[in-house]
Amino acid sequence: MNYAKPNVGMLPHDRIDYSAIVNRKPLKLPGKARMVVWTITNVEEWDPTQTMPRTVLTPPAGGSPMPDIPNWCWHEYGNRVGFWRLLQVYDEFKIPGVMNINGVAVNAFPDLTKACVDRGWEFIGHGYTQRNMQKVENEREDIRKSAEVIKKATGQKPRGWLGPGLTETWETPDILSEEGYDYVADWVIDDQPVWLKTRNKPILNIPYTQECNDVAMMLIQHHKASEFYERAIDQFEQIYKDAKDSARVMAISVHPYIMGAPHRAKYFRKIFKDIRAKKDVLFWNGSQIADWFLKVGPKPPQ
Amino acid sequence: MAEPMIPNQRADYSAIVDRPPLKLPGNARIIFWTIVNYEVWDIGKPMARQLLPAPTGAVLMPDVVHWAFHEYGMRVGCWRFFELFKKLGIKPTLSANARICEDYERVAAQARDDGWEFMGHAYEQGPIHKEPDQAAMIKRSMDVLTKFTGKKPVGWLGPGLTQTLETPDLLAGAGVKYIGDWVYDDEPTIIKTTKGPLVTLPYTIELNDIPMMMVQHHESDYLLKRTIDQFDRLYAESRDRAKICALAIHPYISGQPHRIKYLEQIYDYVNKHEGVLHWNGEQIYDWYKGIAAKQLKAAE
Repeated sequence: MNYAKPNVGMLPHDRIDYSAIVNRKPLKLPGKARMVVWTITNVEEWDPTQTMPRTVLTPPAGGSPMPDIPNWCWHEYGNRVGFWRLLQVYDEFKIPGVMNINGVAVNAFPDLTKACVDRGWEFIGHGYTQRNMQKVENEREDIRKSAEVIKKATGQKPRGWLGPGLTETWETPDILSEEGYDYVADWVIDDQPVWLKTRNKPILNIPYTQECNDVAMMLIQHHKASEFYERAIDQFEQIYKDAKDSARVMAISVHPYIMGAPHRAKYFRKIFKDIRAKKDVLFWNGSQIADWFLKVGPKPPQ
Repeated sequence: MAEPMIPNQRADYSAIVDRPPLKLPGNARIIFWTIVNYEVWDIGKPMARQLLPAPTGAVLMPDVVHWAFHEYGMRVGCWRFFELFKKLGIKPTLSANARICEDYERVAAQARDDGWEFMGHAYEQGPIHKEPDQAAMIKRSMDVLTKFTGKKPVGWLGPGLTQTLETPDLLAGAGVKYIGDWVYDDEPTIIKTTKGPLVTLPYTIELNDIPMMMVQHHESDYLLKRTIDQFDRLYAESRDRAKICALAIHPYISGQPHRIKYLEQIYDYVNKHEGVLHWNGEQIYDWYKGIAAKQLKAAE
């Protein structure tokens, strides 16, 4: 079908052709490994003078009051208290962390940044602030500033990007490629990494998740806490089975203010307790997945 | 007049793991803080919560069905609470719309005579942002509660936890010592106001029947399940540092026949543990005031 093309940027199918996963050359992981799990921890700073991105409690008789102190606090709890519970789990099971962080949050929560730098976590860009990329005044500037603040704090420029709320403009992959990012995770389109064409050189997309994601499950679908564990295991078992002949990637995405709440933390831990017992499952960060795919995957499209 | 402070100007970011642990007296390790909310829903205004959307989804006035839904809590549900807490010997914090002393004198007197702590909770239920004169409303609420109980309330919780940026200044000016609106930590903290320091106590919107039952639509027994999970985790952590587990309930929700048994079972479970204190907000404040005397003095 033909759609009107945007003035700047590209439509999805101009970046990537349809491809059935069963008809591709198999991907092989090192050794006997058959799949990769990567875990993304999302840290945001919510501006108390703006409408809160999400709420747990609506005001009496509804509406969106400004300021919204209870919901600002609800989120801030994650950075003061909740994150440290998640960190214990990552430490206990030796999970390489991926810190998906707003540029402003890098300096707002210095103890948190330091704990991740000390452990060698990978930092990826997540917008300079927690705002829809379509509402950001200057997208390139935002993407560039996100990289600069991460480089300053960690010594390394981020290689990966995940938009705030996965939002993109038609142009986002082009700008990311031009600004030197190696991969993006906004396109929840496949169980394997894929190439996206840009007006610069192609950029890799790594499988992220809206399904095993605590925002979707706990805040939108209102599942009980244990469902996060149950769904993660169901997801894992199916992908593990699917990966018999060709490697696949599973993502788990969490936010400290959600899975770091005392009543949810144990279900997060149980996921890793179960999956870590499997010898043929790799826990990698985004860069490790990208480097592997660059070596064994198809060449980037011309 | 200067612009009111935003939250980060009132309190710096602080990671809980970087603070010295708080200690409770004796062998106690965790405080279980029960907050009961008694409110007045004025039939002349939109109702605070809706269980049954009107046909076509429009918000209609008067909303008799939701007025009655709340009223059930004040006629029937609250007596299930009184009975339970009397049996347990627990004196909870009552988050009280001051107008309950006028409209539901029978209920307010029972709470007073049972020795519950009265915490300010606005004059009647509605977002504080819509108050034409917030300072006057706070003063009126404090005055009504003081006159009714003979004791000035120490604490305050905004209706639906709502605050404007200047609310903490107005509350400190009215003599309030602690607030429950800042659910951003597991421990009490001190925040700045233009009228001296104010203490935040870890109230909860996680263990709270409004988000769980009215917003997230969980099944009745999930109040018990989530509380056990929350308590277990905080109890484990309380080996190293004192913890506070708050539970917030409303008579029109948890006082329903199909929910009350799960509330009762929460206390059966919690009370099987050693080192649990059932303290109200004022007791928590007094304990913390002793520990943080120096910081509070410095913030004067």
